[in-house]
Amino acid sequence: MTHFEIELERLKNEIIKIGNLAETQVVESVKALLSEPIEGKEVKKTESKIDKLDVKIDEICQSIFALQQPVASDLRFIMAAMQISNEIERIGDLAVSVIKRAKNIKDKHDLIAKFDIGDLAKKVELITMKTNECYLTRDEITIGEVFILNSTIKKLGDDAIDGIIGEMKSHSKVVVSGTNLVIVLKHLERISEHCTNIAEYVHFMVNAKIIKHDKHEDLNL
Amino acid sequence: MKNIKIEVKDLSLYYGEKKALKEISLEIPRNKVTALIGPSGCGKSTFLRCINRMNDLIPDVKITGQMLVEGIDIYDKNVDVVNIRKKIGMVFQKSNPFPKSIYENIAYGPKINGIKDKNELDEIVETSLRQAAIWDEVKDRLGDSAMGLSGGQQQRLCIARTLAVSPDIILMDEPASALDPISTSKIEELVHELKEQYTIIIVTHNMQQAARTSDYTAFFYLGELIEIGKTNAIFTKPEQKQTEDYITGRFG
Repeated sequence: MTHFEIELERLKNEIIKIGNLAETQVVESVKALLSEPIEGKEVKKTESKIDKLDVKIDEICQSIFALQQPVASDLRFIMAAMQISNEIERIGDLAVSVIKRAKNIKDKHDLIAKFDIGDLAKKVELITMKTNECYLTRDEITIGEVFILNSTIKKLGDDAIDGIIGEMKSHSKVVVSGTNLVIVLKHLERISEHCTNIAEYVHFMVNAKIIKHDKHEDLNL
Repeated sequence: MKNIKIEVKDLSLYYGEKKALKEISLEIPRNKVTALIGPSGCGKSTFLRCINRMNDLIPDVKITGQMLVEGIDIYDKNVDVVNIRKKIGMVFQKSNPFPKSIYENIAYGPKINGIKDKNELDEIVETSLRQAAIWDEVKDRLGDSAMGLSGGQQQRLCIARTLAVSPDIILMDEPASALDPISTSKIEELVHELKEQYTIIIVTHNMQQAARTSDYTAFFYLGELIEIGKTNAIFTKPEQKQTEDYITGRFG
């Protein structure tokens, strides 16, 4: 392996590491929403690790650009790494916001059960996992699965939000919990969108085609 | 590619028994910079020298196929090689000024071509030196020896000398490989400016230089043309795996 290839491998490993940490945060956020309050100290520690890795990845990319002048697939790999790390860091932040907000939603379980939010939350967990998998395998089928999951999550989220708003209109006592839950749902939707962006960068990395404003249905994945 | 200046058809070159260029076919567009890249011994300099018949000077060289410049096969036996070299100038890796004054270096070619009028020669010297972006540095010492110039200045002087005989095409064989970064950058900037008027073909080992200066890039390997395309495409998404391996440094 050349010195340059070792650098690229190092970058890849850091991306995998930050991706796994974000996945942990998402799993914890789903747990916080659906079942029990979780240990805040551990969440904070992971958040800080993600932030540090995000900076480290930027530094590695900067150094490769300056010293190695990458081209073709190497260039795409590094461009994608910078973007992906940024997206992952946001996923981590959103997961923390979910954890914080979920703690204070009273009687959330009734609303969660009524609007099938459990299913949505599990799908967000799944899309995060699939996103990490598609980075690792660069597999087009997995990229396609991420896109499909995102559409499903968006639909489930919109339906749940409509339902919660209806509930708030007829029962004023659920307004506070309902509003908090709507915000949580929006965070989960955003996590799913960041995952989709990552899958798009993986697609770019592999196929040299920028698809971020294309319709996923037209891609034949 | 539209507006073709040079069209190469099935060109092969043999050094004795050894086939150094294998059925090369490509088109070189007018007023663009085309870079030739590839590992040592791949045939890129040999190919460059085919364009102004410099290989004629090497014994045992046999060339087949066609090299059409403006539609005329320069290997046709009725073609005058001196005229070809007048129209196709060349700049080499190592600057090679004549051991004469700066002025004489530039005026030499036009004089040989029959220009005697002092005013006309003065004008050619100034224009050529200006075009080669060295006029301001030498205008007050045109009578000084060219050997006293720095390496970068000497190379620009050689480019000016090439321009003085009004060529259409300029061939450059590693023109900046022996220069420091500032001189290199001046040469690269010059290439950009010159393409307005000339068709330029440049051989370089420096991949970034090819990427920075050229509009088209051709990749040669073991005497074959592997790929030619827009430089932007070659350096972002080459079509051939061998090209990708070479430009990303994973060759062999």
